[in-house]
Amino acid sequence: MHKNYSLYINKISKRFGKQLLFRDITFNAETGESFFITGPNGSGKSTMLQIIAGVQKSTEGEIIFSSEKKEIPAEERFTHFGFASPAVNPYDMLTASENIRFAASGVNGDRIDEMLHLFGLYPHRSKHVGLYSSGMKQRLRLIIAMIDSPGILLLDEPSSYLDSSGKDILFSEIEKIREETIIIIATNEHEEIKLCGKGIDIAEQTI
Amino acid sequence: MQSRLFKNLRKDFLIEFRNRSAMNISFAFAGITTLSVSLACGGASLTPQIHSVLLWIIIFFSGMSGLSHIFIREEEERTSLFLALHSDAENIYLSKLIFNIILFACITALVTPLYLFFMQVMPVYRLYFILTASAGSLAVASITTILGAMVAKAESRGSLFTVISFPVMIPVLWISIQLTSDSLEGGSPPELRSLLFLLAFSGVIISVSYLTFKFIWTEQ
Amino acid sequence: MLIYRLVFIFMPVVIYMSFMWAPPAAILGDASRILYFHVPVAWVSVAAFIVSGIQSILFLVSENKRREREYMAYNSAAAGMVFTILTVITGSIWAKLSWGSYWNWDPRETSIVVLMLIYIAYLSLYSSLKEHPNRGGISSVYLIIAMITMPFFIFIIPRIYSSLHPDTIINQEGKIHLEAAMRITLFASIVTFTLLYGYIYRLMNRISRLEIKAEEKHYDI
Repeated sequence: MHKNYSLYINKISKRFGKQLLFRDITFNAETGESFFITGPNGSGKSTMLQIIAGVQKSTEGEIIFSSEKKEIPAEERFTHFGFASPAVNPYDMLTASENIRFAASGVNGDRIDEMLHLFGLYPHRSKHVGLYSSGMKQRLRLIIAMIDSPGILLLDEPSSYLDSSGKDILFSEIEKIREETIIIIATNEHEEIKLCGKGIDIAEQTI
Repeated sequence: MQSRLFKNLRKDFLIEFRNRSAMNISFAFAGITTLSVSLACGGASLTPQIHSVLLWIIIFFSGMSGLSHIFIREEEERTSLFLALHSDAENIYLSKLIFNIILFACITALVTPLYLFFMQVMPVYRLYFILTASAGSLAVASITTILGAMVAKAESRGSLFTVISFPVMIPVLWISIQLTSDSLEGGSPPELRSLLFLLAFSGVIISVSYLTFKFIWTEQ
Repeated sequence: MLIYRLVFIFMPVVIYMSFMWAPPAAILGDASRILYFHVPVAWVSVAAFIVSGIQSILFLVSENKRREREYMAYNSAAAGMVFTILTVITGSIWAKLSWGSYWNWDPRETSIVVLMLIYIAYLSLYSSLKEHPNRGGISSVYLIIAMITMPFFIFIIPRIYSSLHPDTIINQEGKIHLEAAMRITLFASIVTFTLLYGYIYRLMNRISRLEIKAEEKHYDI
């Protein structure tokens, strides 16, 4: 059922206005691999993830994302990606399950309930997200990123705001889907870096 | 992709309906402007020309007060990234356009009868009057949707919205004012061509917006 | 390009021609000489708008040279704004002299005001997107939307206002009202003002280019 994806990041640079954020980032990843991006605060980790997800454009360089050798254009990339980041805010005026239904592309109610149970949000599923704590919001972001079982999972500081039980759930979920997914984590946490086979320091450009 | 459009629309209507304050304020603004105009005129007898100018000024500013909200909300609540990650630009544009057309149709449907009631005027060509109000408000909604998307990304949104909307809106206002004045006055029946003009204008604006929206929404 | 420097030779010649060489018009007398400045600046206002629009379309169509096109569209609009103000000023002086009042909402006056409003709107939009990474994209779309409303004005304006404006140089029958010397002067003046616009525009683009280079150098170290 799962397709094989591959991702080539070739010499990506990003400027904000006139300021250079990073330059010549190159790496690639295949399904089954997990990859980390580290770097000091403000070095552009989150921006890098957004560029991969296709919601921002790089100043230079190219990203080739293909499934079974067929290239997927940037506009369609979002259907293959799961993305969780503190910058992604679900709608405050919707409940958790409404937010998930909005984000997911055609999954049934059982799958949604299962994920809500897993991340411990089931009792709160019909509360408006505006009333959630930061930790609960983070759990919701992770559910939204993983609900469609995406080919590529991009996680930006996934364990931020999470308590220890939340982290345990996250890490065991990552273990479960590792074989079928490309996982890219932007983080400075040792626990998360340990999850990944290889990685890059965006400031030093060392792999 | 059809269902994507439906999901976006459902989300917008749910959010706006639960947080009614923004919509209520738009309606209140439209109603109060109409009332205050009729209060200020105090039963003075005005020519059809002036009636239609007043009516369209009210409609224009009601649109200015309410129609950029649907995009600005995404920026203010910082949800635009969430939206961009789960929908393509075309469906975002279409859902916001449909929302704005419906909202503005409701606003016009509130303003126009109120105006006629308080100012004690009755159009001679009623069908033309209704058609003009509908076609004019369609044109206003289609212009403000794309311009609202631009303004949402800029600073000092409220006043900028009026500044950038006005020059593009002038043709619509002129034609609508003329048609409304004709249908209030009687005499020679209003021109069908001018009505078609309004529809053609909306059509051109909507298709160009549909093609160019992604340049506003995603970074180039 | 060297050709734009010709403005340094042409401009004094045109000023001489318009004040000394061309004969005064029949009814208006010497006041008519404002024609040789009003028509060229009006032409440049429209031309600058078109240049700006073309740069905006190119910005959206092709992915390369986007940063250049962003400031090239803006610079042309900024120059065009100045010429539009000059058009309005010279036009209303002329209107006062020939029709007796500074402003009449004649179709041509209306169109230049609409053009000025579009310039104002575009420039305010551009400046309030100051730090936005997508400034070029958004302002280009605005200019394109403004441009496509132009043909609609051609449909409307004659229906709303009746004209007092002297026919443009050539009227419907193709007859030319002006004397030969006046025509030559007017033509020379249009060419010269176009060169002046080109010269200013190129200078502005050079400044923008240098500014970007300087800032990039500053940040990259």
